[in-house]
Amino acid sequence: MARKGKHGFPDQIETDLAVKVEDAHYVYPNGRVVALSGVDLEVRKGELLGVIGQNGSGKTTLTKLLNRLLKPSSGSVYVNGLLTTERTVQEMSAHIGYVFQNPNHQLFARTVKDELEFGPRNIGTPEEDIAQGVAEAVDFFDLGEFIDEHPYRVSFPIRKLVGIASVVTMKPSIIILDEPSTGQDHQTTRIINSLMRRLAEDGTTVICVSHDMPLLADVVERVVVMRDTKIVADASPREVFADEKLMLTTNLQAPQITNIALQTVFPLGGPIALTPKELAADIESRLKKGKR
Amino acid sequence: MTMNTSMPTGMIPGSSIIHRIHPVTKILWVVVYVILAFTTQNIFILYGMVIFAVVLALLGGVFRPLLKALYLIVPVGSSLIALQVLGPAADKPWTVLAEVGFVTLYGDGFYYALVLLGRIVSSMLLSLVMVMTTHPSDLFLAFSKLKMPYTFNFMLSMTLQLIPVFQREVSLVLSAQKSRGMKGSGFAAVLPSFVPVFVGAIERVQQLSISLESRGFGSSGEKTSYRQVTARTQDWVYGICGATAMIGLMVYSIMQPGLWNLSGMIPFSPRTILTSFTVAVTLFASVILGATFLSFRKS
Repeated sequence: MARKGKHGFPDQIETDLAVKVEDAHYVYPNGRVVALSGVDLEVRKGELLGVIGQNGSGKTTLTKLLNRLLKPSSGSVYVNGLLTTERTVQEMSAHIGYVFQNPNHQLFARTVKDELEFGPRNIGTPEEDIAQGVAEAVDFFDLGEFIDEHPYRVSFPIRKLVGIASVVTMKPSIIILDEPSTGQDHQTTRIINSLMRRLAEDGTTVICVSHDMPLLADVVERVVVMRDTKIVADASPREVFADEKLMLTTNLQAPQITNIALQTVFPLGGPIALTPKELAADIESRLKKGKR
Repeated sequence: MTMNTSMPTGMIPGSSIIHRIHPVTKILWVVVYVILAFTTQNIFILYGMVIFAVVLALLGGVFRPLLKALYLIVPVGSSLIALQVLGPAADKPWTVLAEVGFVTLYGDGFYYALVLLGRIVSSMLLSLVMVMTTHPSDLFLAFSKLKMPYTFNFMLSMTLQLIPVFQREVSLVLSAQKSRGMKGSGFAAVLPSFVPVFVGAIERVQQLSISLESRGFGSSGEKTSYRQVTARTQDWVYGICGATAMIGLMVYSIMQPGLWNLSGMIPFSPRTILTSFTVAVTLFASVILGATFLSFRKS
């Protein structure tokens, strides 16, 4: 039987879930700003989850509770069955990787290679595994030509990829990506898109906080919508983006292609397209059938 | 929930009497305060100044945030007392208080430690009260009224405004590195924490300078301000009274024989000095050992 933590929750639970948040509240230390109120969330292992919401809705606070950068003011947060409040950020870093929005906040090493090795070394990964992990990351992110460069001498999109790769090399079972595609060019966004898919295929749980609706519509299988410190919707991207009232009340905008589909083919019995490919397929089949 | 123990460096909004005092008056107070603190060795005056700064903080409603700055007194005060009792910063001959093995303790050192601590604490507290009760733009305007060169004035104002920004940046960088399993403190944390902040600062300054130039910074002509601060009669009264009182104390402590240095007039008993020394050494050693321990443990 697991011992109880300071707030009376068992410090470890048997669960198949990657993340289990129960009635979590968070009030900033000044006591005036409520950032999260009564949030419940369950994320299955290997799930690809998107978190959306206006600025200040509580997305980043929620994800920072998961890797213990913040402690909930009340409620409990379990990651891989471990009560996060009873662990340090360093302990949690072996379970959950957090990619910050701005890579400049984490890059410091002399070379890209040193940067990629920093995380795994901190959590005691054996040297041969570090070398293998770095080689895999370099290959996947196509960083071969930059490996001996100083991280600040490479372009910003490459720096962003180095930042993501430096967390991927730690091989955590859960990865949080905070605005991974903001300010990135098309090629970097495409690499991030493939990364999320590949991580999920390998069984990694991916939680992506983003305003990039086309990216989420294309990749994630579930979307959590936040408004005013609460979760107000939790469904598939198709259900979420098709809910025009929800989009309106949360001041969010569904991908353009979904809006076009909603106004054109959907009333004619077509799908709620999430990607240009889906809409194109429907139009093509209609053209072949000679339908409108 | 963690308590924020960082130094208060920004303005805390309010409408207290201290907030309403003209910035030039406050600057005048700080200047004469610092001069008085560093010219007198009279500990009654020095600790009177500390109490006065605390009273101003209470009147300004900034006492609680100011308490955070008092954390500094523990390492600074304990190290000063411990080191000064072992080797006073005063002319010889020194009064030997006790000999413990090969270590000799001097009574004069205790007095000088209190003087040095009084200078640091009184200057720091009043300066912080000024910063916490004055809007940076008002400070900027006040300096320009005092005919400070515009560029220098702007530089000073920007520095004050950037300190909280960099504090936030440090906290973000530490979070990012801790998320990659880095120890949160100690020597191993120095490089990963400071390189991103340092590089970020350079980049920020570059962007800021380009942005300023593109908006006409450095052009000639009189500068205007959104904010206007007018000096009221009471501001003049506060300024003149404060400056006169402090200059008076300064002259008094210099001119009066025996008041320049009161070490002979305050007969600290050997027991008081020994007890204070033991407490200071224990505190200082705890700070050093604590910091060393933190640098080696996983936080």
